[in-house]
Amino acid sequence: MSTEYRKPLQWGEQDPYRRENTAIGMWAWLAQRVSALAIVVLLALHVVLTYKPFLQFLLLLMVTFHAALGLRVILLDFNWVGVKYQRALIWGLVGLGLIVMAATWLSIY
Amino acid sequence: MASSSASVRNVRIFRYDPQKGGEGHFDHYTLEISDETTTTILDVLLRIQREQDPTLAFRYACRVNMCGSCGMVINGRERLACKTNVSHVPRGQDIALRPLNHFPVIKDLVVDMDPFFRKYEEALLFYEPKEEFAEPASIRPDSRERRNIGLNTECIACGCCVSSCTMCRYHEGYAGPAALNRAFTLLADSRDGLFEPRLTRAMASCYNCRTEFNCTEVCPKEISPTRAIKHIQWLAVTHRREQPRLAAATGSQESAATPASQAGKTDRRTFLRQVCVGVCGVGSALALGGVASIAAVGPALRKTPRRWVAIAKLADLPSGLATVMMNYEVKSGIYMQSVSTPVLVSRAGGEIVCFKSSCPHLGCLVRWDGASERFRCACHGGTFDRDGKVLSGPPPRPLDRYVTKVESDQLFVEVG
Repeated sequence: MSTEYRKPLQWGEQDPYRRENTAIGMWAWLAQRVSALAIVVLLALHVVLTYKPFLQFLLLLMVTFHAALGLRVILLDFNWVGVKYQRALIWGLVGLGLIVMAATWLSIY
Repeated sequence: MASSSASVRNVRIFRYDPQKGGEGHFDHYTLEISDETTTTILDVLLRIQREQDPTLAFRYACRVNMCGSCGMVINGRERLACKTNVSHVPRGQDIALRPLNHFPVIKDLVVDMDPFFRKYEEALLFYEPKEEFAEPASIRPDSRERRNIGLNTECIACGCCVSSCTMCRYHEGYAGPAALNRAFTLLADSRDGLFEPRLTRAMASCYNCRTEFNCTEVCPKEISPTRAIKHIQWLAVTHRREQPRLAAATGSQESAATPASQAGKTDRRTFLRQVCVGVCGVGSALALGGVASIAAVGPALRKTPRRWVAIAKLADLPSGLATVMMNYEVKSGIYMQSVSTPVLVSRAGGEIVCFKSSCPHLGCLVRWDGASERFRCACHGGTFDRDGKVLSGPPPRPLDRYVTKVESDQLFVEVG
């Protein structure tokens, strides 16, 4: 009689309703990684195609996201902000970043 | 509130039969529930096992969320079956039950927790006093140290956090949130004698945390292992300074008889030295910052008086376009700064227009390109016509003009 254990299930594998229950902190992490990749691509494009407002806008947007979420991790890493404010930090810093970004954009154009 | 929320719910349960093997599948059951708010998921499982399918395997013991046996994934989130009511599952959804992630599945909802406890043990989960204490060494409940450790000692080792952590999948050696949380409760404990080996082990994996907060979100005891891991990362950076302080703290606690002296762990000399260093530090930072900011920001804020600068004799100016160097001196702080900047002079008959040579886009130098009969900025390709109007590129407005005047055959522009 074989008694074989099933290999461990993984996050999201045969996992109904997982996506609806994904916590915001995980999206923040994912958004930061995706924006990092986007920055690499957009920066290369920005260097090749010097003046394209649309490209610049996207680049600035991605940098804003990346910086805001990165600042969140730094603040949490050093316990400068308590972990219980981690959700507020996401909205607060991204919001602040977007305001700064809008100001920057409007001052240039 | 009895029977106020009676309903019929569909239940999907993950099934894996070790004798058949395979990937596992979901079995469907339908269950009439008299009151959703007083029926736990564990009740649902017990009823299905008794009424519909005696082969169903799951684990439980205390039924009052103390033992941590019944951790499982309930509708896409790690929870204790005994702590979750049917009413917690949204009406529109089936009740979907599935074993925890990252552990081998023995049968149905039962997983092999060996990897979990192995990692728990590797983190040195036991307390080892630094030295023999005659009296029980206690940490006062109102002390900073105890409050820092907080409720993280309440872990019941249910495995929910490890199951929710996506990094446990990608980093084989990662101790995981539960083990690191345990390590933190002892690392932050000044009586603990295994600080260094414990920290060495915790350090090896504490940087695998990606601050996703999944563990914090799912913990049925509302512990934040993320906070624990952040503390370990902090210790990893500072532990060289940390160690003597911990030793000193234990020493003073041991000899202290009165609560007052127990609360203040730094002696007068250390305190004064810290104050001294603090005051000197803040003072020099202020001084340095002040000088730097005055030097950097001051000139931009200072209003320079407007004045006229002669740039050329009318007789020397050719008709058409010419670039003339303008030289003048400004008093900047305590020294004189000489400014030398080109001015673009356009002369058509009696009319003379002087343009600033910096591009209104980002301030690069604009030059007259005789071949194409236009001003060009090399940085971003902005071009302007003879009157300074933008022809192409990013500049937001035409070239800036100086105010000019002619006096005694000299051309003057206003600067400031």
